[in-house]
Amino acid sequence: MNIKNKLIKILVPIVSILFSFIIGAILIASIGGDPVEAFSYLLKGAFGTTSNIGETFVKATPLIFTGLAATFAYKCGVFNLGAEGQFVMGAVASVWISTTFISIPTPLLLVVSLTSGAIAGGLWGLIPGILKIKRGLNEMIVSIMLNYIAVLFMGYLYSGPLRDGNLPQTAEVAVKLGRIFSGTRVHAGILIALVLTVILYYFLFHTSFGFKLRAVGLNPTAAEYNGFPLKKLILTSFVISGAIAGLGGSVELHGTQFRLMSGFGIGYGFDGVAIALIGQLNPIGTVLVAYLFAVLRKGAITMQVGTGMPTSVIDIIQALVIVFAVAGSALTNLPKVKQFFTNISQKSNKEVK
Amino acid sequence: MGAFLNVNFIQDLLLSMVRMATPILIVALAELYSERAGLVNIGLDGIMAFGSLVGFLTCYITGDPYLGILAGAIGGVLINMVYAFCTITLGAEQIVYGMAINIFAPAIASFIYKIYFGINSSLITNTLMSAVPIPLLSKIPFLGNILFNHTPIVYFAYLLVPITYVFFNKTKAGLNFKAVGEFPKAAESLGINVIAKKYLASIICGALAGIGGAYLTTCYISTYSDGVVSGRGFIALSAVIFGRWMPGGVLLAALLFGFTDALQLRMQVMSSGTPYQLLAMIPYICTLFVLAFFGIKKAGPKANGKPYFKEER
Repeated sequence: MNIKNKLIKILVPIVSILFSFIIGAILIASIGGDPVEAFSYLLKGAFGTTSNIGETFVKATPLIFTGLAATFAYKCGVFNLGAEGQFVMGAVASVWISTTFISIPTPLLLVVSLTSGAIAGGLWGLIPGILKIKRGLNEMIVSIMLNYIAVLFMGYLYSGPLRDGNLPQTAEVAVKLGRIFSGTRVHAGILIALVLTVILYYFLFHTSFGFKLRAVGLNPTAAEYNGFPLKKLILTSFVISGAIAGLGGSVELHGTQFRLMSGFGIGYGFDGVAIALIGQLNPIGTVLVAYLFAVLRKGAITMQVGTGMPTSVIDIIQALVIVFAVAGSALTNLPKVKQFFTNISQKSNKEVK
Repeated sequence: MGAFLNVNFIQDLLLSMVRMATPILIVALAELYSERAGLVNIGLDGIMAFGSLVGFLTCYITGDPYLGILAGAIGGVLINMVYAFCTITLGAEQIVYGMAINIFAPAIASFIYKIYFGINSSLITNTLMSAVPIPLLSKIPFLGNILFNHTPIVYFAYLLVPITYVFFNKTKAGLNFKAVGEFPKAAESLGINVIAKKYLASIICGALAGIGGAYLTTCYISTYSDGVVSGRGFIALSAVIFGRWMPGGVLLAALLFGFTDALQLRMQVMSSGTPYQLLAMIPYICTLFVLAFFGIKKAGPKANGKPYFKEER
């Protein structure tokens, strides 16, 4: 890929974000609010105090995981929309492990619990994979159905077998991920997320196995002609993508929520999809967009309290970013527009000469 | 267990099945029109969410559920035009853009609701459309009540099935329409305006999906809440696959999914001891099983999901 294409890939999301904020500002003004005031509350909420800055990282952590799950899957050509279910199943496995096997020493139990979260997520991701390669089923529909099943299953657990006390919620897990900055709730989960990002980036773009997985995503027919074990690779992509989301659920449990209750993990799956698409299916882009989403989330609450603007303004801005980013990527791929860009770059090349 | 075999129980169950199948049927037919023109629209869930809000709001303000349905249709078309412009004119990937709609449309719906009713509003209810029994036919014992004692939207949905069948198989316009989804190049060479047909398909799809959404808040539940659609758009998508892209098949699939939904609701009422979450899973699990056993690998319009550029060779 040449520099021009790379530049477009970076510019499209940035321009989309700018456009979305402008429309968001118009929207706020049109319902009688003051956009400048609203956005300054937003920034204050996100960066005003050390504890608030910490919260942005806390909120970014699960989004990075589901974003990476989506990025990985789409890079490999499988449309896993089931990150939410895999996230939830990861947390379910972890809550069961860490409240049942309390005799295991703490650090070991934490490792076992996180691992089993990843395994549970991977297994939940395996189901759409198997149905796709064995029965040719559309993985999007299957993984969405599995999301609803997982969330209902979690509901059954926290209001039934794993219920603790009067409220419909599970017991608090004893093992927790350590806080890494005093005065904030930032926990070691963000480090796990960042290390995972680097590993995935290296794996996808610098190993031959990663190349094979991406080749399936680019052109399955060509990959099969080259003797790649297509079905095996597709399954692997599902499992890894599911495991990333499952680990995310486990980290969210041990780092932030500590117990399962109503609303755990809801919406993280689709947010992950949006983040992956805006981040141009690049692990590092994914982390940046996930952080942006977290900043918006944290700031939105302060904005609502301060100005009475509902947090859903921010949801609209987020949604607009994806609408623009996807349209923008398509636009820059249109033959006419491509020609236009080529002309510009040729002109500037001539001028340089 | 004896209560399950009661005649009244079966009648209630089937009545509820017909009612529950309606939104899935309308939305699955919406998708059928879209896919027949080569546009895979997985944004149905989002369009439904927007339709349900617009329908609810209009019904609340005017007090007329019929206007609510009409508004739902218009709202659905508006949202789907965003999808249509980006996928048809810009050639954006349809799956990706459908997903964008699924994120975008519910966000707007939720925003409008909160702006209109305030951030901390309690549950607001509106008037539901009342059933219009069909004279004579609704008097047939047993069946009359199940089939001919519904809101007009239900009749509309079931009438759409033969209409769609005749349109696609017996009319020239319908055959042209199908050609666009099968082989757009050939269709273009025969003088069919492919782009216009695709936009037309998107308008029909948006209107029907919007009606399907509005049905939920004007004929089924009297309140709006985020997530009211709860995956029905995706169930409708699987109904199209299970129904083999044929109106009759789609009807069967919708009835099956309607039945599982009705069954789990009845069971929640009958056996209050069973955790409701386990029963609420039934429709989703059934969808998976039905797809796994009766879904097929390759079917449907051949040019489905592919962008179309006039200039491209």
